[in-house]
Amino acid sequence: MSGASSDASTLANPRELDLGLPVSYLAEGRSVASWLFTTDHKRIAILYALSITFFFFIGGAAATLVRLELFTPEGNIVGADTYNKLFSLHGIVMVWFFLIPSIPTTMGNFLLPLMIGARDLAFPKLNLISWYLNMAGGLLTLAAVLAGGIDTGWTFYVPYSTVFSNTFVTLAVLGVFVSGFSTIATGVNFIATVHYLRAPGMTWFRLPLFVWAMYTTSLIFVLATPVLALTLVLVIAERTFNLPIFDPARGGDPILFQHLFWFYSHPAVYIMILPAMGVISEVITCYARRRIFGYSFMVYALVAIAVIGFFTWGHHMFTSGMSPFAALVFSFLSFIVAVPSAIKVFNWTATLYRGQIGFESPMLYALGFLGLFTMGGLTGLFLASVPIDVHVQDTYFVVAHFHYIMVGASVSAYFAGLHFWWPKVTGRMYPESWARFAALLMFFGFNLTFFPQFIAGYLGMPRRYYTYPPEFQVWNVLSSSGAAVLAAAYLMPLGYLTWSLFFGGRALNDPWNATGLEWRTTSPPPRQNFFGNPQVLAPPYDYHPEATPPGDEPRIAEKGALT
Amino acid sequence: MSAGGDLIEKTAERHRREPWDELGLAGERAFAYQRAGATFGIWIFIASEVLFFGALFLLYTAMRLEHAADFAIAARETNIVYGTLNTALLLTTGLCAAIASQASEQKGLQRLTLWCLGATVLLGLAFMAVKGVEYSEDIEKHLLPGAGFALKEPATQLFFGFYWLATSIHAIHLSIGIALVVRLIWKEWREPGFLFESPQVEVVMLYWGFVDMIWIVLYPMLYLDGRAG
Amino acid sequence: MSERSRTSIGRIWRRGLIVWALLLAFLALSLFAAYAAPASWAAPINFGIAATQAVLVALLFMRLDRADTLVRLAAACGLFWLAILFALTLTDTLSRLANS
Repeated sequence: MSGASSDASTLANPRELDLGLPVSYLAEGRSVASWLFTTDHKRIAILYALSITFFFFIGGAAATLVRLELFTPEGNIVGADTYNKLFSLHGIVMVWFFLIPSIPTTMGNFLLPLMIGARDLAFPKLNLISWYLNMAGGLLTLAAVLAGGIDTGWTFYVPYSTVFSNTFVTLAVLGVFVSGFSTIATGVNFIATVHYLRAPGMTWFRLPLFVWAMYTTSLIFVLATPVLALTLVLVIAERTFNLPIFDPARGGDPILFQHLFWFYSHPAVYIMILPAMGVISEVITCYARRRIFGYSFMVYALVAIAVIGFFTWGHHMFTSGMSPFAALVFSFLSFIVAVPSAIKVFNWTATLYRGQIGFESPMLYALGFLGLFTMGGLTGLFLASVPIDVHVQDTYFVVAHFHYIMVGASVSAYFAGLHFWWPKVTGRMYPESWARFAALLMFFGFNLTFFPQFIAGYLGMPRRYYTYPPEFQVWNVLSSSGAAVLAAAYLMPLGYLTWSLFFGGRALNDPWNATGLEWRTTSPPPRQNFFGNPQVLAPPYDYHPEATPPGDEPRIAEKGALT
Repeated sequence: MSAGGDLIEKTAERHRREPWDELGLAGERAFAYQRAGATFGIWIFIASEVLFFGALFLLYTAMRLEHAADFAIAARETNIVYGTLNTALLLTTGLCAAIASQASEQKGLQRLTLWCLGATVLLGLAFMAVKGVEYSEDIEKHLLPGAGFALKEPATQLFFGFYWLATSIHAIHLSIGIALVVRLIWKEWREPGFLFESPQVEVVMLYWGFVDMIWIVLYPMLYLDGRAG
Repeated sequence: MSERSRTSIGRIWRRGLIVWALLLAFLALSLFAAYAAPASWAAPINFGIAATQAVLVALLFMRLDRADTLVRLAAACGLFWLAILFALTLTDTLSRLANS
């Protein structure tokens, strides 16, 4: 912190006028040890934010090299083996060390106790252990990368990963295994917190949708991750200890691996989207100045997605040799799981009706989410249909589909939440025009990167290939150019958000005039979150009183028409 | 045992910790709430472990369905005496754990709690010893999958792959349980009266009960197949 | 006071020992069934016995019979989700076996 703002941890400088206020959580303890041994959920959230940003840029660097290679049909930048290691690194790091932790461990950790009026999570020390487990896992995986990498893809399919691959599979798998326990512990913590630590008056159906999203995500954490843990143990057992498990040459069944792997990995994608949906519900209501349309159906939809998502994993295996009967069952269930997601999209859209929509940067990201999630979700329906999936499986169509959801939707929501709650977390405002520009650039860059991939995949370009026939080049050039724009759009927030930490304006307690308990305390909050014990007297999203149409005034008068 | 413990506050308050202590509830209710939260938390973890071991049992089920005859041949080679003895040992530790958990909640049953915890540890170690003897016998009989495996039918190696894997994973969980119980005993030695009403006893004993349940299901999988006729 | 704790000890021990005796009896029964039962019955009988023992441990040793609804729900969810894993995976395994 610069000298001029060294007293800026409280809104009043205690040396000038001692109001007897507690210092913010940022100022309470300045040593490295006070951060590394903290049990404050807010500090742990910051620790996580630093680690996931680090892993995001590592995964992004791998993607950059992949897209550079794919600029031309011939392989000229990296060889085939290195290319395999690059996309494996990209997948493993982005899925397990960026996306899955991203919103739950940063915003979930920070905001869950605040939103329910609690002082901390139910098991604060366990929360710290979660972070260390995550770091240990990440470091193990990085060690695998530095040692020479892994080339199996993030899916570790057998028997290649257990019998034939000559790369550092065990080390990478061990890293993912360890980080799994981090998420299970976080899940246990969140579930217990929501059940036991709600403030008086905070009934289940008054909870903000972000809290419901964290709760349902935690259910998935707790029930799906152990199966991944075991599956990874089986990979290590077969590879390192030479026990026969999946190797067909020794009688094993490789499809069984896929069942076990996807039983986790399909719910994992819901781990990656449910928190994003929670963020969007908070952002859209605030900037449209409307309560959410259909609150209870939004809750039921979250629960339905979490539960039904466990029944659909076989749609990743339609071409694996699985029985057609099972394929039919999974296809049907995959169509059903789209329904609650669609309900949510309709309800967010209906929330905007008669709203006073402001186009601040969090709202730009949220509106982008709506469009991109819809695209990604609809293309998921194509993939749920077996006859179509048989043709586009393992092509860029699939790659585009999941990037629309994971990057277009989830990462947009992450940035929406990052900007929305930045004032609360840091006590600083970021420069709004830079933020709006970055949001628009990201939307443009994202579509330029991934829409051509739908076309390339539909025309037959396979995924995970470092060379391709020349007829696909135009789509790849478009895609790689988009990736360059997207990279710039991701670097911009890194720049201006860091700038705001030192030079940004001081934030009010409630800069967006929002509802929610987190805005009823200082920015940043003190260690114990609230001054006194909060009580909840009204339903969430109380933005417009019943039967009163919103007026025509801008939300923040000085800022004018665009708020 | 508690002769030197008079200086420590004996009420349940001493176990309370943040954030459960600021709920605005009266003292005892807050602690009861914290206990309920701890029990709930460990049961959620146990549910996750049910899925962890459940996936392992699914592996067994699928493999056995695909190779029923070979699995029966292989299962005959496990040592049913050691297996049954170990099961009896673990069931007895289950008894000791349940007694310890309930005794720790009652005033004046400190010694009983400690004895039961100690018995749990000793019987658990006995299990590990028997397992060690059994493992060395299995190795001598060439029951380790790989070249030189004792049985000629190919899927018998799958059975023994599962055998070594499942018993190792169970043994790791058991060792963690033993370490947790030893820690409880050590905490009581350091701070007499610690165990009384401590939520940690219930949490560790529930974990132990779960590890017991896993072995109960593993026993018929590994030892009782292929014995008929 | 000691009167109350003595009956408590008595009650705790009695309950525990009865359950323990039952568990050991089931163990002996499963051992017997493994050798004596016809081959096709042995597995269902023995896994059924194991399930019964597990239920006894969960209800009486781990005290699910006196637990909060929430705790029982957590335990039930673990089993339900395991059932999903088994059921849907086995539709594939069994239908492939049937077709081969």
